[in-house]
Amino acid sequence: MSCAVLLDGNCKPKSMSRASLWTDEIENLYRFQQAGYRDEKEYRQVKQVELVDRWPDTGFVKKLQRRDNTFYYYNKKRECEDKEVRKVKVYAY
Amino acid sequence: MCTKMRPLDITKDRSELKTEGFTVKSTLKNSVVVGPRAAGAFRERPAKPTAFRKFYERGDFPIALEHDTKGNRIAWKVEIEKLDYHHYLPLFYDGLCETVHPYEFFARQGVHDMLEHGGIKILPVIPQLIIPIKNALNTRNRQVICTTLKVLQHLVVSGDMVGEALVPYYRQILPILNIFKNMNINSGDGIDYSQQKRENIGDLIQETLEVFERYGGEDAFINIKYMVPTYESCLLN
Repeated sequence: MSCAVLLDGNCKPKSMSRASLWTDEIENLYRFQQAGYRDEKEYRQVKQVELVDRWPDTGFVKKLQRRDNTFYYYNKKRECEDKEVRKVKVYAY
Repeated sequence: MCTKMRPLDITKDRSELKTEGFTVKSTLKNSVVVGPRAAGAFRERPAKPTAFRKFYERGDFPIALEHDTKGNRIAWKVEIEKLDYHHYLPLFYDGLCETVHPYEFFARQGVHDMLEHGGIKILPVIPQLIIPIKNALNTRNRQVICTTLKVLQHLVVSGDMVGEALVPYYRQILPILNIFKNMNINSGDGIDYSQQKRENIGDLIQETLEVFERYGGEDAFINIKYMVPTYESCLLN
């Protein structure tokens, strides 16, 4: 059963791998992980929100609310540098 | 009776008298006229205690410091979109004069975040930003000038018409840029690492003036040229 169906339930990842190349997706994962979440799924579960604020032209995440209810704001342009790419964790469900 | 200009290193003859030019003393036989003192155009001028520091210490800002891997993020306790820009943006700009942590970091990053997410709220605040910008540049502290120049570049591109709105204030902002415009090292074929780190003031000023010209509309160039005569257009010719 896919995880999208179980959005409100506890959705645990089955495996984790490290990113090796920068892509738009990796950039967004980096932003979620900076704010203390695994990925968008977990963010939407925890914060109970439908949509995440994104930059209109690039589609990168713009604003995230952290677990302590403070806000992180991200730039329009790429933030995850090449040396940071290996730190990004990609979870599979 | 003649008074010759002689180099300063004469200390052999103790009877020689050092004096400034065009004085009665300078007409004496044994007087040596020394050159005028440096005016101190490049000398750093210490900044006064900033309102930013006062407000920060009082806990008035809705911000918290977060130590992430790169150490460069502010956690905002309130959404930036809901902030009163007329109140907070000039205050953060006021903090640009700061050189010590954490004030310097919060001011720089706070301005950056507010400009990045301000949109149309930035334009009406511009008149209030000029004095803090001028104060920051007037400190003539190299680090502060660098930060302020980068902030100016960001400000110009932060919203529609912001570049044009800055043109009437060039008289306040550009004199310091004119003083430091040639501050560049001629290192021959050696490596100037400040270029890589974007800390070379001469280059940053050139970049900033070019951004001003590009975004300042048709009157920008002539106004820049008036304040910085050595500037050449990057758009004309």
